Amino acid sequence: MTPTLRQFEHDATAMADDLRLRAVIQKNIGTYDIAVAKGRTRFADWQNARSRAAAAKWETINHLDRYLEQFERNVLANGGHVFWAETAQDAREHVLQLARRHGVLKVVKSKSMTTEEIHLNDALQEAGIHTVETDLGEYICQLRGEHPYHIVTPVMHLSKADIARTFQEKLGAPLTDSAEELTMIARAKLRHEFLTADMGITGGNFAIADTGMIALTENEGNARLTFSMPRVHVAIVGIEKLIPRFEDLALFWPLLADSGTGQALTAYSSLIGGPRQEREADGPREFHVILLDNGRTRLLADAEQRDALHCIRCGACLNVCPVYKNIGGHAYGTTYQGPIGSVITPHLRDAREWSHLPYASSLCGACTDVCPLRIELHHHLLHNRRNAVRRRFDNVVQRFIFRAWLCAMQSPARYAIAAKLGVLALRLGWAGPLLKPWTDRRDFPAPPKQSFRDYWRKHERGA
Amino acid sequence: MNVARDNILGRVRAALRVEARRPLAPTDAPVFPPVTDPEARFRSEFAALRGEIIENAGALRAFLNGFPKIATDGGELGGKIVGEPNASVRECDLGVTSCDYLIAQTGSIVVTTLSAGGRAVSVLPPVHLVIARREQIVPDLATAMALLRKRYDKRWPSALSIITGPSRTGDIEKILVMGAHGPKRLVLYFVD
Amino acid sequence: MRVALFIPCFIDQLYPNVGIAMVTVLRRLKVDVYYPAEQTCCGQPAFNTGYWDEARALARRYVDIFADADAIVSPSGSCTAMVRNFYPELLGKATNATVHTYEFAEFLVKRLGVTDVGARFPQRVTYHDSCHALRELRLKDEPRQLLRKVQGLELVEMDQAETCCGFGGTFAVKFPMISYAMDDVKVTSIQKTGAQYVVSTDSSCLMQIDGYLRRVNLPIKTISLAEVLAST
Repeated sequence: MTPTLRQFEHDATAMADDLRLRAVIQKNIGTYDIAVAKGRTRFADWQNARSRAAAAKWETINHLDRYLEQFERNVLANGGHVFWAETAQDAREHVLQLARRHGVLKVVKSKSMTTEEIHLNDALQEAGIHTVETDLGEYICQLRGEHPYHIVTPVMHLSKADIARTFQEKLGAPLTDSAEELTMIARAKLRHEFLTADMGITGGNFAIADTGMIALTENEGNARLTFSMPRVHVAIVGIEKLIPRFEDLALFWPLLADSGTGQALTAYSSLIGGPRQEREADGPREFHVILLDNGRTRLLADAEQRDALHCIRCGACLNVCPVYKNIGGHAYGTTYQGPIGSVITPHLRDAREWSHLPYASSLCGACTDVCPLRIELHHHLLHNRRNAVRRRFDNVVQRFIFRAWLCAMQSPARYAIAAKLGVLALRLGWAGPLLKPWTDRRDFPAPPKQSFRDYWRKHERGA
Repeated sequence: MNVARDNILGRVRAALRVEARRPLAPTDAPVFPPVTDPEARFRSEFAALRGEIIENAGALRAFLNGFPKIATDGGELGGKIVGEPNASVRECDLGVTSCDYLIAQTGSIVVTTLSAGGRAVSVLPPVHLVIARREQIVPDLATAMALLRKRYDKRWPSALSIITGPSRTGDIEKILVMGAHGPKRLVLYFVD
Repeated sequence: MRVALFIPCFIDQLYPNVGIAMVTVLRRLKVDVYYPAEQTCCGQPAFNTGYWDEARALARRYVDIFADADAIVSPSGSCTAMVRNFYPELLGKATNATVHTYEFAEFLVKRLGVTDVGARFPQRVTYHDSCHALRELRLKDEPRQLLRKVQGLELVEMDQAETCCGFGGTFAVKFPMISYAMDDVKVTSIQKTGAQYVVSTDSSCLMQIDGYLRRVNLPIKTISLAEVLAST
């Protein structure tokens, strides 16, 4: 058992037993469910919207080289810069280099899972650059020294009271039970940061090939301030974020807003296509896009699972996942949690170390039904499992058990004997180590007097 | 010359030698229902988002009186309505801008750095007043995107935003709070 | 039409009455059934755990054993999904046996066009959607149509009807703590309905729910849809 798996089992157990935490998450997701059900009525044909998005994304991902080159050409033509980062380290070093070149003392960041993925904040802080998360949820995470609990809703696990205590401890703010007052405390603190930061760092929800633009989706306005106020804007995007055309956003923006929060559009859907132009009143002097691989081309090379790169990070599969709802976001130990995280993490990171995540699912398929890109997430989890066995990440005991089991199942006679032995063991009250984890907290059914096949032989043969 | 670029594109090309299974083909069925009365729809969507509309010149004067420090996009439309700006965007308590389009389907306002005087004035002030003409209302997002393409395809502005209601957050227990970082109030005034 | 019975291994060994109930109902509807005795397991445990070669060997057995059947009926949405949805992926093609395998409720409603099987079960019940029946076979309404025609039966929907019970085969023993929490959510939802019985197409889900109910001594029973339909 790897330390990562041990940690996962420990954390997942703790979370699954924490009824208070489960209630906080349930309440949060309950509100989301209501908003999404209402938002869905805005579509004439959501199923077709999914099909269109899947087709558009398929086209992009399966011709990604072409779209990346087109995107790069257009960013350069707009006066921006493009840096290709093969690894997280390459991306971090480039940001630090830019920061040094521009004498950056302070960075404001808007919410970006990609920067989480490359652990950018730690690198910046170690280099002595004051780095501030400005999305309210991310800001709270940063104050608490935690990672986001959810790719869309970073502090889904915290109550108002938890957040008030954090603000009291870290900011010396008076305790309050008003979400509005808490928000205003953060607004006041962060306003100053926006006005004094030298560099703004954002992610990108989409990268538009035919105009060389980065699309950002947000509600608070912190992303707009991040790409408007500082002297330098750096956008870090995974290479899979490409979409072909500007006009495609007329589909992708509403689809993301709907699945993410149940909104028709988020408060701000923005596009950034370069630094300030001479005809413009303000804006950063430089605009840099970092195109990040960091394992994505490995996933791309797996044609069977390639469409996992279609993901637009809406979080819908997390919100509907019974595993996520019961163990929460931190237990996964990954940047991307929930079903999509369990599918892609073995590709993006060490395949053996993360091979347990695809198994941590009952394969209920609720994720697949809500995915706006029609990614068959639960089938991918099956593929992940098969790949893990193929690559011999399984343990020897399990492998032996399935060999023996197959041997029994290939002959009705052997099957009958094996079954009789099993039933006998049950009668003797010996559930065995295989069943014990289940029977620890449940009663196993009493084995019947006869099997169906015995019944049939006695009553029906020749009937 | 650029090793990382060549490596990534090389890996992408190698990966794509095997084509992935094609997804279900979409149909021609429209994804969104058609917008019938665009102005009525815009008004109802905008109100649902907690946007405010000032209905007449008198109300506008009264509204403006509440803001001693006003910054504008420097545009013609704003100048005609509110006069010369008397504060910088960092110090004002009201930002006044024009816009490109209003989207009926979602109650949104499209601003670009060219139509709204740069990036800051439509997001930094605590209140944002948009001056628009009724003719700027378009039925839906797809129409707005097509018109933006037509208007800017020769040379795009460096940034644009589709503003859908005042700044908001639901990060704390999914409780809706207005004015997280951007304007707490989004106000619209139609000129004839 | 002669209908082959596909009795999954755990129904065979742990819940034979479910298979017998299905036979009872089919005979009541004058359907001619037979039981190919060579059948064992569909291979789902291996398939779901990643042992596709082992599962494939059993898939080959299945399509041979049932090659000539007009229709194959099974009292399990899960095993039916394995055969109809996943065998083609394992074997590289669909065959007569994979295409013509039906879950019992599905067979009654969609193939025979029957919703009233002449059953009587005067109890308050709630229906649990098994994930495989619901999301692999898209059976949402069919089991409910059958239940609504059962005399004396009162169907009360639970708020979490579509939420997984947490069984998931080896998942339940690999990650017992997660599986238990999911069971807990399910049982809480069941309790709120005031139902005396939980009904489902899938006995594996019912085993998971029943194991919990009995451990904490709750006065709610589980029963398969086939057994409800066999009751008179």
